[in-house]
Amino acid sequence: MGLNAILSPDSEVLRRSVERIREAVYSRATSVYKRDLEVEVLSHPVALILIKHMNNKRLVNVYAEAEKNRVLANLLKESQEKLATLAIDGFNWHVKREGDFLFVRFDDYLKTSVNMLDAYWKLVNRRLVKGYVELSRRDFSRLLAEAYRTRILEKVNQVEDVQVPSTLKSVIEELEREFQGVLPKVDVSATYVGEYVPSAFPACILKLLEEAEQGKNLPHMARFTLATFLLSIGKTPEELLDLFRKMPDFDESKTLYHLRHIAGEIGSRKKYTPPSCATLRTFGLCVANDELCQKVKHPLTYYSKKLKSLKRGELGKRAK
Amino acid sequence: MGKELNNEGFVKKMFKKYYAEWEGEPPKDFNRREFAFVISRKGEMIRHKAFEEWGEVREFLRKNSPLHVYYSSAYYAQPSASDMDAKEWMGADLIFDIDVDHIYTPCKERHDRWTCLDCNTSGRGMPPEACPKCSSKRVEVKTWFCEGCLEVAKEETTKLVEDFLIQDFNFSPREISIVFSGRRGFHVHVESDVVKELDQRARREIVDYVRGTGLVVQNGKRRVLAPPLNAGGWPGRLAKGVYELLNAGDIEGLLNLRRGSKVEEVLKAIVKGLEESRDYWPLEGLARKIWFKAVEKVIVRKRCEVDERVTTDIKRLIRMPGTLHGGTGLIAAKVHLKDLESFDPYVHAVAFVKGEIKVKVLNMPEITFLNQTWGPYNDEVVELPIGLAVYLICSENAIVVGEGDENA
Repeated sequence: MGLNAILSPDSEVLRRSVERIREAVYSRATSVYKRDLEVEVLSHPVALILIKHMNNKRLVNVYAEAEKNRVLANLLKESQEKLATLAIDGFNWHVKREGDFLFVRFDDYLKTSVNMLDAYWKLVNRRLVKGYVELSRRDFSRLLAEAYRTRILEKVNQVEDVQVPSTLKSVIEELEREFQGVLPKVDVSATYVGEYVPSAFPACILKLLEEAEQGKNLPHMARFTLATFLLSIGKTPEELLDLFRKMPDFDESKTLYHLRHIAGEIGSRKKYTPPSCATLRTFGLCVANDELCQKVKHPLTYYSKKLKSLKRGELGKRAK
Repeated sequence: MGKELNNEGFVKKMFKKYYAEWEGEPPKDFNRREFAFVISRKGEMIRHKAFEEWGEVREFLRKNSPLHVYYSSAYYAQPSASDMDAKEWMGADLIFDIDVDHIYTPCKERHDRWTCLDCNTSGRGMPPEACPKCSSKRVEVKTWFCEGCLEVAKEETTKLVEDFLIQDFNFSPREISIVFSGRRGFHVHVESDVVKELDQRARREIVDYVRGTGLVVQNGKRRVLAPPLNAGGWPGRLAKGVYELLNAGDIEGLLNLRRGSKVEEVLKAIVKGLEESRDYWPLEGLARKIWFKAVEKVIVRKRCEVDERVTTDIKRLIRMPGTLHGGTGLIAAKVHLKDLESFDPYVHAVAFVKGEIKVKVLNMPEITFLNQTWGPYNDEVVELPIGLAVYLICSENAIVVGEGDENA
């Protein structure tokens, strides 16, 4: 099958690719298309090209998640031996089998498990024996499916900005229109303007706020996090000055300059957003202490969710 | 001012002597690493140096006799590029830092002092983050490294290397180097392809593992699941730890429990359960309560206090083994695991062993140096072994008096 045939408007591969994306968006899992294996295999890279050109981060994530779910459903049915082979051949993992368990070398384990938020997957909570992590067949399948998801995300980023044929352009535009309402693009910076409700702040931000107010000498990353968070929810650089005033090395003009810079008012005009939870963990600034923390990957998402639930709670009280 | 010059001149002269004969041992793929130096006390750090031949490194040290010598834990395609992105990161050693500065030791109450530079309040022991009286952050610290501190640092290092790196992570002892930091602790370098390319997030997981951070004790609503003794990793470590603890006696003191027939019975049941179970098994009621108390103690005992910032930084500069520490004049000496127990920095890391010199000691507690006990001294001129004098001058606890007979 030639490239032109694959990408022509009436090609079965293109039809299946669009279907795959729709399945991902509407049912959060892609089905297995059994009529023609070649079509099924080719539809995946074509779907990736379409997604890449739609430039919607949410869609990429939704698609990868759906593919992961499909793969996981299949993996859960596989034998221990088959699972080991898939991991070794597909991902170059170092795998051992013993009794009911599969063992993955810790470096292979970490490369994937760092994307899994639940404390269950933290290395400290696994049985690590002689460099290998002990996993049940079920957990091994989950890890493998997650590795598959990560690979899709990497692939989308790798796809070069090739010029797509005009026939594809209309398909892409149609899908874009269709998904506009279903999958609004994420924009963490624009969502929460003007609402300053410290009781809805995540614990990491509260801690930094408290330390700043005590005049502690916060490291660079801590200051950056605090400033970008407060700027993102509508504070102005001038308002934040007082917060940093108590720091031992405070210099009004310098601090204001930095604050205005990260607020996008001067310099590169780029408005900085706070670091993600993963980055905060790396810098030792994460103090994840409640259930909501397990569910979000970004302090601003935490704030928005918490804010909503607080408001719901208040409304509920009034109704009584 | 004149005295300071004199001090620095003296230190420089001694360092020059040391590096004149210095051979050193090249770290793995040294030509892919960035080197950095501090040449003089007031000077800035010279960075982004790279060397193709080991002889060039020796030559540089001979010429400049720097106060501090560092290399990058990272390997780069362009180690001498001054822009961090242009260096092209290719991987990094896994580094651990065990520093008594960050670990509580009871002996600090005896030998460490801090002074607030703003209101002059002072105290002993671990310095507070801010002055308790005026909240100033400008707290000056005077610390010493005594036998008690050394013991704690050794204990943590042994735990790290034996229990975690070798037993759990399966690194070969050949891939692990233990290096005296030159001041108050040890650095542990792991040069292994298994970890070379791990990113910050993966390294954070390794640090969390070693520190026992984020450890979740399997807990249901009314019962807790206890792991079996033979489990791998932390589950097994907890089970073994609780077993040792409950067998050690002094339960009252350790767990703050009043012994009674009910407690005795439950303790026996836990010990028996641990001895017999092959898989996770449930504990309820009082047993669950005791288990939690014991596990808390065990985590503190078995965890290892490494500085997480050092391990998670994949572009860290670290002191080069075999070079001198400008703040102490001691050698950042490599120590074999089997020699760690008997390692004494004031014997095995001393660079200058011959000769004596008169110095004015500002302040010094009793110190055993080269197997001989000296001090305490307070603002007095004394004749000391030259290694100890260098140590005190480097750490700003003594000043050179006149042109001493340091060549004696």
